[in-house]
Amino acid sequence: MATNRLVVKEEVAVFASVLFDSANGAGGQEAVLQVREQMAEVIRLMRSDLDLTMALSNPDFTPEARRALVENVFAECHLAFREVLAVMAERGQADLLPRVNDEFRALLGERLGICVVDVTTAVPLDDGLRQLITEKAEADLGKKAVLRERIDRSILGGIIMDVDGNYIDASMISQLNRARNVLKDTTDGGEC
Amino acid sequence: MHVKTRANKAVAQAAFGALALNAAFPALAFASEEESGGLSAILPDMAEFIPMLIAFIILWIILAKFGWPMFAGMLEKRENTIREALKKSEEAQIESERVLAEYQQQLADAKTQSAQIIADARAVGEAVKADITAQAQTEAADMIAKAKAAIEAEKKAAVAELQSSIADTSVDVAARLIGEDLTEGEHRAIIERYVKEAGSFNGN
Repeated sequence: MATNRLVVKEEVAVFASVLFDSANGAGGQEAVLQVREQMAEVIRLMRSDLDLTMALSNPDFTPEARRALVENVFAECHLAFREVLAVMAERGQADLLPRVNDEFRALLGERLGICVVDVTTAVPLDDGLRQLITEKAEADLGKKAVLRERIDRSILGGIIMDVDGNYIDASMISQLNRARNVLKDTTDGGEC
Repeated sequence: MHVKTRANKAVAQAAFGALALNAAFPALAFASEEESGGLSAILPDMAEFIPMLIAFIILWIILAKFGWPMFAGMLEKRENTIREALKKSEEAQIESERVLAEYQQQLADAKTQSAQIIADARAVGEAVKADITAQAQTEAADMIAKAKAAIEAEKKAAVAELQSSIADTSVDVAARLIGEDLTEGEHRAIIERYVKEAGSFNGN
């Protein structure tokens, strides 16, 4: 078992490294960040769609069928990512994608010396806010920060910042939900 | 009574003996009747008296020899019989008294036992009654407690539901106000304040 774990770990490292090198070679840092976002999106999709996840690793399908499935479903993804994912599906290892993602994110810091901050807001950021957030992230993490911005009106207001799973959630919707929970959990309302 | 009858019978036998002597010597009797008169009228005629005396003595000897032992034996036997009867009757009386005492004791025991049984039955009845009463009271108390708990739970659920509804409504209103009323500039000002107030990415 230990040997198997080491082998799988090595395979994950190879997949991540190939993906990183391919994306970096094709489009530099921007392509790497694009692949990073797409990979996160695919992982969310696989977690929400169990049929897709099982199909990508189903041994009843031929490797060619699994590759064709990846190429058709993820046709709009970056070529490097699509190819690596197709190879993983051919080998029946598509379920390793979350680990590849972790390894890929680690390579960002190691090889590019950057940390990616995913910023979600209800309105677009201006330059002042970008600079403010970048400076805060660089001060906290000691690396060059790269912001990946996303607009989501559902958070109502405020900001959500995510660095490799470390969240700072200062969104309005979260605060309102906390207020809602506090109001619901207060038990002395009916003890008149 | 029986002894008296026997004595009369013995006297009758002696008189019979005397009559028998008179019958044996009839000439002596006629002679005495011919010479009677004066003082001699009240004096016994020796010729008559002596044979009668002899006959009496003979009769007395016979009776003393044969009749009296028989009579004494009969008396003794009768005495023994009466003594035995008395003894038996005393024993029977003692036995009957003993049996009576035993019956009385048994009756007293039976009365005591019946009284005890009645007392026990009454006690058991009282205990059963007390148990039933206690059980009924316990069940009633449980039912009341359950009803109170159910009412309390319903009340809490209603209050919680109302509270939840109010919270949802309040938050929804607040969310709508925020979403509709805030300008982009105000949003950015809020973002700036939040970023400055936010904690570190390192969790420090």
